[in-house]
Amino acid sequence: MSEENKIGGAALLVIWIAALAISLVAFYGLDHLIMNMQGLPLNADLTPAG
Amino acid sequence: MRSNRQQSIRRKGFSNRLGWLLSLLAVLLVFSVTPVFADMGMGGAEQRIAPIGRVHIAGQDFVPAADSATSEAEAPELIAAPRTSRKDYPNIGVSSRAVVWILAQLHLFFGALVLAVPLFVLVIELVGLMTGDERYDSMAHEFMKISLTGFSITAIFGGSLALALFLLYPDFMGYMMHVFGAQWLVYAGLFFLESFFLYTYYYGWNAMRYGNLKWVHLSLGLLLNGAGMTIMVMANSWATFMMAPSGVNEVGAVIGNIWEVMKGPLWNPINLHRFIANIGFGGAVVGAYAAYKFLSTKDMEKRAHYDWMGYTSNFIAILAFLPLPFAGYWLMAEIYAYSQQMGITAMGGILAWLFIVQAVLIGTILLAGNYYLWAGMSRTEGSKRYKPFIGFIAFVLVVCFLTWVTPHTLMLSASEIAQLGGSHHHILGPLGIMPAKNIAVNLMLIVTFLSFQLYRRSDKVATVSWAPIGNALMVAIYVVAIVNIIFLGVYFGYFTNTVYKVGSSVAQVSSTLVVIIAGIVIDSLMFKNAKTLPSHWGRIPDRAQYALFALPIAFTWLMGLMGYVRSSVKTHWHVYTVMKDNSPDNFIPTIGYAGNMITIVTVLFLLFVLFMFWVASLSGTKQAKPETVTEGGVA
Amino acid sequence: MSVFFKTIGFSIGLALIFTLVTQLLPQVEGEAPVETKVDLASLTMDDFVAMGEDLFMNKGTCTLCHKPPPIGRAPDIQGMDMVRTSTERFADERYQGESKDAAGYLLESMIDPSKFVVAGWGKKGSNDTVSPMPAIDKAPIQLSAMEMDAIIAYLQAKDGNEVTVSLPSPEAAAEVAAAAPAGGVAPAPAATAEEALGKYACSSCHAMDSEDPLVGPGLATVGRRLSEGEIRQSIVDPAAVITEGFPPAMPADFAEKMTVKELEMLVQHLAEKK
Repeated sequence: MSEENKIGGAALLVIWIAALAISLVAFYGLDHLIMNMQGLPLNADLTPAG
Repeated sequence: MRSNRQQSIRRKGFSNRLGWLLSLLAVLLVFSVTPVFADMGMGGAEQRIAPIGRVHIAGQDFVPAADSATSEAEAPELIAAPRTSRKDYPNIGVSSRAVVWILAQLHLFFGALVLAVPLFVLVIELVGLMTGDERYDSMAHEFMKISLTGFSITAIFGGSLALALFLLYPDFMGYMMHVFGAQWLVYAGLFFLESFFLYTYYYGWNAMRYGNLKWVHLSLGLLLNGAGMTIMVMANSWATFMMAPSGVNEVGAVIGNIWEVMKGPLWNPINLHRFIANIGFGGAVVGAYAAYKFLSTKDMEKRAHYDWMGYTSNFIAILAFLPLPFAGYWLMAEIYAYSQQMGITAMGGILAWLFIVQAVLIGTILLAGNYYLWAGMSRTEGSKRYKPFIGFIAFVLVVCFLTWVTPHTLMLSASEIAQLGGSHHHILGPLGIMPAKNIAVNLMLIVTFLSFQLYRRSDKVATVSWAPIGNALMVAIYVVAIVNIIFLGVYFGYFTNTVYKVGSSVAQVSSTLVVIIAGIVIDSLMFKNAKTLPSHWGRIPDRAQYALFALPIAFTWLMGLMGYVRSSVKTHWHVYTVMKDNSPDNFIPTIGYAGNMITIVTVLFLLFVLFMFWVASLSGTKQAKPETVTEGGVA
Repeated sequence: MSVFFKTIGFSIGLALIFTLVTQLLPQVEGEAPVETKVDLASLTMDDFVAMGEDLFMNKGTCTLCHKPPPIGRAPDIQGMDMVRTSTERFADERYQGESKDAAGYLLESMIDPSKFVVAGWGKKGSNDTVSPMPAIDKAPIQLSAMEMDAIIAYLQAKDGNEVTVSLPSPEAAAEVAAAAPAGGVAPAPAATAEEALGKYACSSCHAMDSEDPLVGPGLATVGRRLSEGEIRQSIVDPAAVITEGFPPAMPADFAEKMTVKELEMLVQHLAEKK
């Protein structure tokens, strides 16, 4: 649609994977943060700790 | 001339319609009052005999001897909350509660409307000043004009409500007067201030339209809002005091100052919740006005104006509506923190069914809001790009809506447990919890925001170089947030304990918030200086306007429903734990009875709003001078 | 014109649909608790247990939280043998109460729920040291001592255990109320002389219907021996005149505890015992 921003297929793939990875990490951190703030710690695999 | 004729025709239709409406109301009223009559025959007062161990001398008030440790109890000026018996409540033949219910709700609807309208009028006026677009300024002025009568209507219902309360619940009102004391005077004084600012703000509009005077005008608007908000939070403190009293001791004697009485645990959550909801409500009502005007004209220029006005009002309403569940969550969390019993009475007791109705209402609001946005995409040339998403959004909305209203996701009440023949019904167990509904609600909010975002994007093309990255990030955030919400709901909801289940719903809500915030941030950066595609106001199908009627009706009804639950969680108390309600109406009415009452107040509100709009239109109507009939005039 | 009809019709139709939804749902009314009179003369233990069950389900609002998992928000009391559970609690090092038997433990749990918080059910952030449960003898639930006894009887009986609480007599009910630990509601003034006798536990030292000496002298014919003034003095200031052969054991604080009305009722009542 926008002519001036042509980016190659491979680069585009990298961008999409990177975006997905960043989002995954961000929400993983968010879950830990929010649950910890409520005094409900989680293990690394998101199971309840303790 | 044409509009004049239209007006008179409309009025005639109005009176026809009114007769029909009144008979409908009468039928509803009979339904709603009947159970009360049935109840009155029982004469419970005689059977209420205090149990052994708590006996007290006949004819004397029960005075619990306070612990000797609480020395305040010995101070002479402490007066405990009155203990009423049934004979202390005047019997007027119809349910006192029903009378107060209707008056209070109408007062609250109009109060919400006239608090919200000046608020977004001020914002729109400011936007007009910033953008230099005169359309905003005239729209703000028009909003003020159509809601002007609303201030008087609010005051009339407020006065009637106070009168009804003093007549029907004298002891309770005496106690409230005693507790809040001088605050009532401040409250009354604020009305003078509010009226002063209201009239100078409205009538001074054109006199102070440009230059420095515009800033004076904006300041008047700010002061009007300040007075209005103060009135609201003061009135809120009475309601929250009744739910969670503070500043009084166990028997209701005042031990704190007025600030401690007002600042109960639920005060600020209610203030925030009502503040946000008022904006949404006001936006929805004004949107309906614009939709009506749109439908009743064929003039393309007027259509464009009212289409734009309806869109802006709807925009305000939906924007205010999106954070409302979070404010509601805070309120509910504070209720649980104040009294777990009260929280569970609301969410898991007999009132639990109410949340099915709430789901229907919120579902209606979300569907109507989304539908309006989709229909509005026909205004812009660039919206074709996003058409495929609409099917997906509609699908998610419908599935979530159905999940939400499915009754088997309810907690069981005690009597239902008894009907099942014991408390150990293991088959129903996994279905009787909230997680499925939590997932549905959050997904509905997310896709509504998606609709909104797509609509905002539909007339723009991003020109920044990092647009592909921004898009990828936005899509990834949506996908991961949805996955996260489903994961949190399913895993913590069904496979861990209750504490983690409740905790995970906070994480779900946070995920939704992250999507909304990220969406706003990314889009505002990405579409800075974007290329704008042409859009055509007024190019929207007529049927889309009905979404703008569905919105205020559902909003009004929802407010009525929430009033029912807010008042009912107090169970048989005027002031929770401090002053018992011994009136004939001290039971929680059935959901069906509440439904009838809410429809009555909604229809009454609709009629009064129509009256308000009609009065506003009168000021713009001028009767033509009657022409003297000349001889041989045209018949 | 037709626009007016269409929009009004649409709006009212929508409101009626919402009303219809509420009509389709189960119609339950939340009755305010009705305090019923209990006829102590004909009350059997079965009635008392049934009364306890009713209190547990309704007025006590226990089942709001005490439900089977996963919907409950507190231990599933109805699914547990509470007598056996209480012995487990006594052995638990986290138990902070003083009671020694099941009935005592259950009463303690109702009056002061934080004495033992079952792991996982404490208030959020309190690490299971504070219970979210309200004190049952206080507002808003406000069960009387007798009502709490009835619930204990029900909890003992439902699993076939022996019921150790006794049927309520005016004296017993008053004693339980008076013995409620700090924080309990102070006893209300008695309405009749009989209630006052029970409330101040006179009969634990004085035989009321014979002259047999217990700790103190029997009072069946006390009106013959003492005048009203002397009776009043004996209650208010027991040490002034001690009947020969009895220890000075009578509490001296009745003057503080009794209301004037209670004292006068007692004096009248005793003076008439001739």
